[in-house]
Amino acid sequence: MPTLDRHFWLVIVASLALGIAGVGLAVAGNPENSGICISCFLENSAGALGLHDNARMQYLRPEIIGFVLGAVLSAGLFREFNSRGGSAPLVRLLAGIFLMIGCGVFIGCPIKLFLRLTAGDLTSLAGLAGLVAGVWIGLRGLAAGIHFGRAEKQRGSGWWIPCLGVALLLFYLFRPGFLLFSTSGSAAQHAPMLLSLGAGLLLGMLAQRSRFCITGSIRDSFLMRGRTPLLWGLLVFVVVAVGFNLFSGQFRLGMYGQPGAHLQHFWSFAGMALVGWLSVLIGGCPFRQLIKAGEGDADAGLVVIGMVIGGGLVQAWGLTATAAGVPFYGKVATLVGFLFLLTNSLLWRDRTS
Amino acid sequence: MPDRFDMLHLVGLLVVAGGLLLLVLTPQPEAGAMHGGRLDRAMEKQMLARARTDFLKQTYAPVVDLTASGEYAAALLKLKELGREYPGEPHGDILRGEILLAQQAWQPATASFVRGVKGNGDYVDAKSPLSRYESISRVVDEGLRQVGAQVKQHPDNSSLQETMRDLYYLQSRLAGGCE
Amino acid sequence: MKLSSFLITLLLLIALSLLAGCQPETERPTYTIGYMNCNSEAETIQRFQPLTRYLGEKLGVNFKLVPVDTQDFPERFKAGEFDFTHTNSLLYIILHKEAGLSLVATERRGEYGSRTAGAIISRKGSGIKTIDDMKGKRMLFGPQLAPSGFLAQYDLMLQAGFDPETDLSYYGIPHGSFKHEKVVYGVYFGAYDVAAAPALDLETMAAEGKIRADDFNIIGQSRIFPYCTFGAAKRLDTDLVNRFQRALLELTPEVTVELDGEVVKVLDGAWVDGFDQLVDSDYDPLREMARRANMPPYQEF
Repeated sequence: MPTLDRHFWLVIVASLALGIAGVGLAVAGNPENSGICISCFLENSAGALGLHDNARMQYLRPEIIGFVLGAVLSAGLFREFNSRGGSAPLVRLLAGIFLMIGCGVFIGCPIKLFLRLTAGDLTSLAGLAGLVAGVWIGLRGLAAGIHFGRAEKQRGSGWWIPCLGVALLLFYLFRPGFLLFSTSGSAAQHAPMLLSLGAGLLLGMLAQRSRFCITGSIRDSFLMRGRTPLLWGLLVFVVVAVGFNLFSGQFRLGMYGQPGAHLQHFWSFAGMALVGWLSVLIGGCPFRQLIKAGEGDADAGLVVIGMVIGGGLVQAWGLTATAAGVPFYGKVATLVGFLFLLTNSLLWRDRTS
Repeated sequence: MPDRFDMLHLVGLLVVAGGLLLLVLTPQPEAGAMHGGRLDRAMEKQMLARARTDFLKQTYAPVVDLTASGEYAAALLKLKELGREYPGEPHGDILRGEILLAQQAWQPATASFVRGVKGNGDYVDAKSPLSRYESISRVVDEGLRQVGAQVKQHPDNSSLQETMRDLYYLQSRLAGGCE
Repeated sequence: MKLSSFLITLLLLIALSLLAGCQPETERPTYTIGYMNCNSEAETIQRFQPLTRYLGEKLGVNFKLVPVDTQDFPERFKAGEFDFTHTNSLLYIILHKEAGLSLVATERRGEYGSRTAGAIISRKGSGIKTIDDMKGKRMLFGPQLAPSGFLAQYDLMLQAGFDPETDLSYYGIPHGSFKHEKVVYGVYFGAYDVAAAPALDLETMAAEGKIRADDFNIIGQSRIFPYCTFGAAKRLDTDLVNRFQRALLELTPEVTVELDGEVVKVLDGAWVDGFDQLVDSDYDPLREMARRANMPPYQEF
C-alpha cells in the first residue's frame, strides 16, 4: 500500500477529475471515446494552424491550451515553475513526432487508450499490451544506462511554451483569419468552449501538482508495485471512467464496430509500444509533456513542438490509422520509429557505470 | 543594476510591445481586411460545401428519380454513364450502394458504401446535408444479422468474412470517434 | 568459423533451398481446365492464358487451357476431359447435378459483384415499356444456355403471364460471336423490338460509351444470381481443389505473370475484378428459374 499522504490524495483527485472529464467532455460534445485525447487534439490543432489539409480534422482544441496554462498557473502559484532545458533537444523534438505516429497508428494517446477500454472497446487491449511492453522495454533501457543527458537551468527557454499557450488562447478567442475550423467530421464535434477550457485548466493544474502520467503510472508500478500512488490513481481513473461510461450509456463492450478503432491488433500493439518506450525515455506520456512544458521544462516543450509538427505530418502524409486499418506508410513510419529508438538507445547509452 | 545595454533593450521592448498593441487595437485597413478575410474564408468554405452538395444533387438527380420509381437497372445504367464523367466520385458509390441494397445484393452494396464513406466521411455524419446515416445504419444492422448468420454456417468462407469486415468498418464509422 | 566462411555457407544453403523448391515443369502433374467460350476460342485463350499460368505457378502443377463450346461442355466434362471448369452459372448447375461438379469460386465483375442479372430492353420512344406491350413483337435473345441472356428473361416473361413461345410474333438468336452485343445493337438500330440483354453487357457498353442509359427502356430485370463459376471434378484431391480455390480468392488486381516475355496483370487480362467464395445454395434462384422455364437440368419432355 502507498503512504496516504498529501501527494497520494492529490493523485487520486487528479485521476478522479481525469476520469470525469475524459468521459464528460465526450458526453458534452467531443468525439466518442475522445473526451480527452492528446494526439487527436494536437492533430486537430495542427490542422487549425494550417499544418495539414484534412478538412475534417481542423479545430484549435481549447483543452490543450488549458492543460499548458493550467500547469503554468499551478507551477506559478506553488513556486514550482523552473525554466530548464538542454537535454538532447533534437532527439526530443523527433521523439515528439514519433509519439504522434505511434498514437496515430493506434488511434489515440495513452489517455484515450484507457477511455476506449473503459467504454468497452476491446480492440484497445492490444494497445494496452503494447503500452505496457513499451514501458517495460524503456525501463530496461534506463536501467542499462540510456540517458539523454541532464537538463540545466536555462532562464529563457522555459517561458516560450507558456507564451505559445497564451498566443493560442488569443487565437482561439479572437479567431484570426488564418485559422481553419472544420464544419464537418470529428473536429467539428466539440464540447462548449468554456467547459473545454475550464476542464483543461483544472486538469492542467491538478496534473502539475500530482505529476499524474499514464506511462509514469505503469513505469512506477513496475518499479514500486502497489506502493506508488500513480498506480492507485490509474485505477481510480479507470473505475470512474467505466462508471461514468456505464451511467451515460456510452459503454459498448465488444471488439467490432467501436468508434475510432481498427482491427489490426499487431499494429495497435506496435503503435502503443512505440509510445510507451519513447515516453519512458523522455520522461512522460504526451499529456505529461504538455504539463512539464507548462512548468518551464523546455525539453518537454520541444517534445510538444515535435508533437504539433507530428500532428500535421501524420495527417498530411496519411499515416494515421482509420477504422479501415493502418495505411502502408503508417506501418513504415512505426518501424522507422523503432529504428529511431534503437539507434538512440545505442548512441545515448552510458556504458561507464 | 541594469546597464546601458539592458536599458536600451528594455526601452526597445516597451516600444515594440506598445506598437504591437497599438497596431492590434487601432482599427486599421489591414485589420479590417484580416477580419473580412476570416468572414470571406468561412463563407467561401460554406459556399463551396453547398455548391458541391447542390451540384451532386443536381447531377445525380436522374439516378435518384429512377431509384425512387423502382427502376433500379436503369438507375445503375445511368450511374455507370455518369461514372465516365466523374470516376471515383463517392456520391456515386453511395447511390450505387442504395440501389444494390434495394436489389438485395448485400456484398456489392456494402462494398460500395465502404468506398463512398472512405471517399467522403460526410455520409456518416448525422448532421451533414449529404448524410446517409440512417440508410447506412440500416445496412449495418440488417447486414450484420443476415451475413452474420451466414458466417456462422460457413465460418471458412473468405468472401463472407470480407463483407463482415466491410460491415464492421461502417459500424465503426457510424459510431463516430476520431478519424 | 570466420565471418566470410559463415556468409558463404549461408548463401549456399539459401541457394540450395531455393533450388530444392523448384520442380521442373516437365515433372509436374498436368491438369486440364475447360473454359467455356464466350465469343471465340481465340478470345478465350487470350483472356485466360495469364490466369491459367498464374494458377500453375501458384499450385506448382501444369494446367492445360482448353476452350470449349457451350453446347459441347456437358458431354466432354462427363467424358472426364476436364479437371476444372470455368462456365456460366447455368452450366455449373447442370454439371453439378448431372456429374457432381463442385463449386470452387465465382467470378466478380461489374456492379453486382459475383452476381448478375438479365434485362429485357426496348428502344426509347418505341412505346414498349411493359411486358404486356411486347405482345406480337419481335425479340432477340442471347445464346440458349446463357443464364443472363436467355433464361432470366424467358423466366421473367413466364412469371408475368407472358408466354414467349406464343405471345411474341418471332424470337431469334443471333449467329456468330459477340451475341450479347448484337442483341443490344439489334434493338438500338431497330432491327428488333425487344431484346434479352445481360445486365453486365449493358453496364459495360454504357461504361465504354457505346450506348447511353437514355437510349433504352428497361422493361424488366430478373433477380440477381451468381455469375461465371469455377468448378472442380469430384474425382480430384480435396487438397488440390482447396489450393486452387485459395489461389483464386487471393488474386488481387496487382498480381502479374510473365507470358511470352510480357508482364501481364492476371485479373485485367481475364476481364475479372476478383473471385468470391459462394455456397451452392446461392445458385438456388437460378435453379428455380430453370425449373420454371423447363430448362436443363430440370427440363421435362
